[in-house]
Amino acid sequence: MAHDRKFRFGVQTGGATSAREWHDKVRRIEALGYSTLYMPDHFIDTPYAPMVGIAMAAEATESLRVGTLVLGNDYKHPAVVAKEFASIDVLSDGRVEAGMGAGWMTADYDALGLPYESHGTRIERLGEALAILKGAWGPEPFSLEGRHYTIKDYDGIPKPTQKPHPPILVGGGGPKLLRLAGREADIVGINPNLRAGEISRDAAQDTVAARTKQKIEWVREGAGDRFDDLELQIRYFVAAITDDRHALAEAMAPAVGLDPHEALESGVAVVGTVDECCDILVRRREEWGVSYIVLGDDQFETFAPVVDRLTGT
Amino acid sequence: MPHRRKFRFGVMCSHADSATDFREKARKAEAFGYSTLFVPDHFIDHPLAPMPAMATAAAVTDTLRIGSLVLGNDYKHPVVLAREAATLDLLSDGRLELGLGAGWMTADYDKAGLELDRPGVRIDRLGEAVTILKGLMGDDPFTFHGKHYNVTELDGEPKPVQQPHPPFIIGGGGPKILALAAREAAIVGINANLRGGVAISDDTAQSMTGSATDEKLARLRAAAGDRFDDLEIQSFVGFTNFTDDRQALAEMMAGAFGVAPEEALETPVVLAGTLEQMIDDLRDRRERWEMSYVVVGVDVMEQFAPAVARLAGT
Repeated sequence: MAHDRKFRFGVQTGGATSAREWHDKVRRIEALGYSTLYMPDHFIDTPYAPMVGIAMAAEATESLRVGTLVLGNDYKHPAVVAKEFASIDVLSDGRVEAGMGAGWMTADYDALGLPYESHGTRIERLGEALAILKGAWGPEPFSLEGRHYTIKDYDGIPKPTQKPHPPILVGGGGPKLLRLAGREADIVGINPNLRAGEISRDAAQDTVAARTKQKIEWVREGAGDRFDDLELQIRYFVAAITDDRHALAEAMAPAVGLDPHEALESGVAVVGTVDECCDILVRRREEWGVSYIVLGDDQFETFAPVVDRLTGT
Repeated sequence: MPHRRKFRFGVMCSHADSATDFREKARKAEAFGYSTLFVPDHFIDHPLAPMPAMATAAAVTDTLRIGSLVLGNDYKHPVVLAREAATLDLLSDGRLELGLGAGWMTADYDKAGLELDRPGVRIDRLGEAVTILKGLMGDDPFTFHGKHYNVTELDGEPKPVQQPHPPFIIGGGGPKILALAAREAAIVGINANLRGGVAISDDTAQSMTGSATDEKLARLRAAAGDRFDDLEIQSFVGFTNFTDDRQALAEMMAGAFGVAPEEALETPVVLAGTLEQMIDDLRDRRERWEMSYVVVGVDVMEQFAPAVARLAGT
């Protein structure tokens, strides 16, 4: 079914410092009108394990959706991941968004002592993992003889509450990944290309508007007829409410190797007054079809007026 | 004078009809005075994955402890598990008991296409995993180079509330796993030997007779040395049957498992009889085998609650 492209908003957050603070934070995010709480999956500088954090967040809220942005596929076996997402979907009465990525941050692989294989191999493995998730969530026992995984006659339990399965979110920045996402995902995250294995100037420069259009073309190539059914998402790494967007751009641009105009037009930046930010997001939805906006920990309070104005429109 | 090993009780919640039912079971376990709600970790049969289930049980209760009985070490990398366990301990305000096993159920490995190595290798890997878990929960960046895992200068996050780490439960039946438990665990589960890869067989039943249990305790005691008095000894009672005629039941079970009727009643995995007989058996087993931490199935949680009321904390 064609997606309606109505705006909704999410928050990506790594956790809090105590159980009480986490509880209060996720309830606050719900109260501000955000659709979804996402947790990242890294072993350095992110406080909480996502599967535990989102299970607790779901329990503390009524309608907030919970998800991962995104799980690194290589860190956990997909049969385990399938069961955990399905369990949280059942426990949350159908509020899960299953975000999956190929894994990219070299520091994570170092932490686990895992080999950091070529991106082609990691993406191929993610493709098999997505097939395992869907298979485990489907009504029948299934088998898969892959290059990376072998599943034998596995009837996954529990079956998720959302049918046919929780929305699968796949995020990425390169052609292989985005074609895979177009083919298999329900929500596609348009990200910087992180081939360098860390957040770098290379990644920042990959966010200029022309690159974003190219990425959406890759999604379209993978999706074919499904393209209209997909929900497109951007995680805005630079988001600020300010009366002087040009001053901010001047200050920010050199650090990421862009000129100030490019910085403002970057596909991961939304900077300006509430009116300006709303206009930018509406214009980009027309140009790119992106209707699902994700903000960070330090932005969700200040962006609440934008969320209030645009959600559901 | 109170016994030096005070009784406490756990419930093994191996199934729930729905999310609502699971929450209800957790709340009831707390209300009935059980110390801990445990969840298993298998790909088949058990409906909820352990980490989300424990998180939910903790969220709907105030004092109930939550635990895994047990996590199969081979299903998750210990660096991943360390972070999940510490997060769970943090978000439950220090109520986690981390039960770990070497992995044994053939079906789990088959379904997920995992290599089922021989027991010695799996136990060796579990030993390394325990070292990594403790290392990452400690204060400083941690480095470990083992046969199975490599961790370099990693400062585990978050840190758990319970210090130095949540209590580890290691259960098993064979000498190698008991030696590991004696060295590393706070709570030791005295289990059947599951080398056959399935839960119920003549082999597992015969490995849990009274005399076989005597041997396990002797082995544990020898391996633990000075640590033995600090260990909490746990038994999971898989078969609980309230009856006025336990002799008849014993004869039936004896036939099914190839043991003598008196052996069927003696094994610590069985509680059969009236409530009074069960209470007597539990006291006897504590004297004979030091078993003060008793886990029963969720099906009998309510029926067994009077025993909990009588014995917990004594």
